[in-house]
Amino acid sequence: MAIRISGLKRGYGKIRVLDSLDMNVDEGSIYGLLGPSGCGKTTLLNVILGFLIPEKGEINVLDTNAHIPGSDVGYAPQELALYLDLNISETLTFHGRLHEMSKQKIEERGKWLKSFLDLPDFSRIVGKLSGGEKRRVSLAVALLHEPRLLLLDEPTVGVDPELRARIWQHLRTIADHGTTIVLTTHYIDEAGKADRVGLMRDGRLLAEEGPLELMDEHDSNSLEDVFLTLCKREVVA
Amino acid sequence: MNWNRIGAIASRKFASIRRDHRMFAFIIMMPAIQILLFGFAIGASPTNLDVITVGEHPIFSELEESELLVTHNYSDLQAAKEQVENGEAWAVIESNGSSLTIHFDASNQQIMQTIINEVRTALQQSAPSLSLKIAEPIHGESESEFIDFLAPGIMVLVCFMFSIILTTMAFVGERNDGTLDRLFAAGVQPSEVLIGHLAAFSFIIVGQVSVVIGIAVMVFDIPMHGSLLLLFSLGLLLGWAAMCLGLFLSTKAKSEFQALQLVLPIIFPVLLLSGILWPVEALPFGLKEFSMLLPTTWAAESFRSIMMRGWGLSNPLIWKSFIIVFAFGAVALIAAAKSLKVRS
Repeated sequence: MAIRISGLKRGYGKIRVLDSLDMNVDEGSIYGLLGPSGCGKTTLLNVILGFLIPEKGEINVLDTNAHIPGSDVGYAPQELALYLDLNISETLTFHGRLHEMSKQKIEERGKWLKSFLDLPDFSRIVGKLSGGEKRRVSLAVALLHEPRLLLLDEPTVGVDPELRARIWQHLRTIADHGTTIVLTTHYIDEAGKADRVGLMRDGRLLAEEGPLELMDEHDSNSLEDVFLTLCKREVVA
Repeated sequence: MNWNRIGAIASRKFASIRRDHRMFAFIIMMPAIQILLFGFAIGASPTNLDVITVGEHPIFSELEESELLVTHNYSDLQAAKEQVENGEAWAVIESNGSSLTIHFDASNQQIMQTIINEVRTALQQSAPSLSLKIAEPIHGESESEFIDFLAPGIMVLVCFMFSIILTTMAFVGERNDGTLDRLFAAGVQPSEVLIGHLAAFSFIIVGQVSVVIGIAVMVFDIPMHGSLLLLFSLGLLLGWAAMCLGLFLSTKAKSEFQALQLVLPIIFPVLLLSGILWPVEALPFGLKEFSMLLPTTWAAESFRSIMMRGWGLSNPLIWKSFIIVFAFGAVALIAAAKSLKVRS
């Protein structure tokens, strides 16, 4: 198990964001966190990253005792989180050095990421790239050091369908090689491609299963219906 | 502490600074402009002061030679006083044979002092038998001007102020655009981020301190009796301490506006309580003690002592200043590291 969370509670001051949340992510799988904005997805990622200390509950990430998983994790925040005044090459070199990668290794990975993510010329300044290009550079930074766990906050916002399909294909490939991927999304069709979907609402997971099992169980043919059914049930309860 | 990561952060920050030409020009030009303005506007002796002499006295011809005064000779005391009343002249110097009486417009104390000094100098020149004799000063120049007192303080202020301004914005943007989170996710420690920033900014501090000292000594001809290297070292140390304080403020500020608001309440006490504009000895009880806690008070007095008195590191004032400025910076840096915490 790559991530094991049970009974997690965490808020900001008096505002309760996450409450009695359980989550299990298998190693080498893709886990899609699906839910409306404001439901606590980003807060949950911040707990996994070690930025937020749980008020209650158990949390285990990659079986390490370190609070911050560090180089084991590749993280792409929802904001682009790029230095707009650097060019692409400098951006990759900077992050590579943070992970203590050799110059040669950074170059090698850079070349590969360039062809895979269809990145613009490496001498281009990041601030002058289009939104979609920036998003891809941000993703390249998270993938650069081949981390064991990828945490991607809304990774496909503003990416065209063709590239989105290619990104998913790549995520699948590295998952098959043992990388664990947790991503947040509010595209329901996208969550359907994950191995396991966590349906999140008001700081709790309503359900956590494979997309097919979820649809089977609730006798519907779309994840959207499942989500709506679960929401209704929650309101009635 | 991982020096590879610190190096990466420092070179990244330095590349950003270098690429932003307007900002680069600003941070080198602004201290220069500031010190030039101060030097021209404040502290030089006033000139073209109209003074009326009444009657005959041996020093009147001496006063005519003065570079600061413009003398007019009247025979009628009443007419002369009227000129002062109407604001046409600053003083009437009346001769009663051997002694002199001065009638002042004392609304401007600096100008009054200047005139008294000129008269006293003239008296010394023409009547050396006088009972008061001012010998060659032990420290400083006999023709000492207010600017000689002011300039070292202003140099300290400029070194301090621009170093703070340089760093207060450091983390505001990085916190909001997520780049800081990305560093922390990679396992970077807050202390590494801070030291990386300090290293990148140090290049700028070296430039700023050199410009400030260079202009003071070369353009304004402020006396320099001590070691230039010692002065430079203290200026640099003060710049670093101020950067540490700026970094601390930056960890507290949530927006650019807030960062600016945090700088202002620092600049004013420093300007007013560090003995930069006026001697610390004039401060009332309480404020004087507070003043001794400010690194700028120590730095300003040391700058003055190095430049005018020619004191070296062996003097207790000077070495204590180095220790106090260093300690101040270290405390600010530790506070910044504590405040820039990754986990909350």
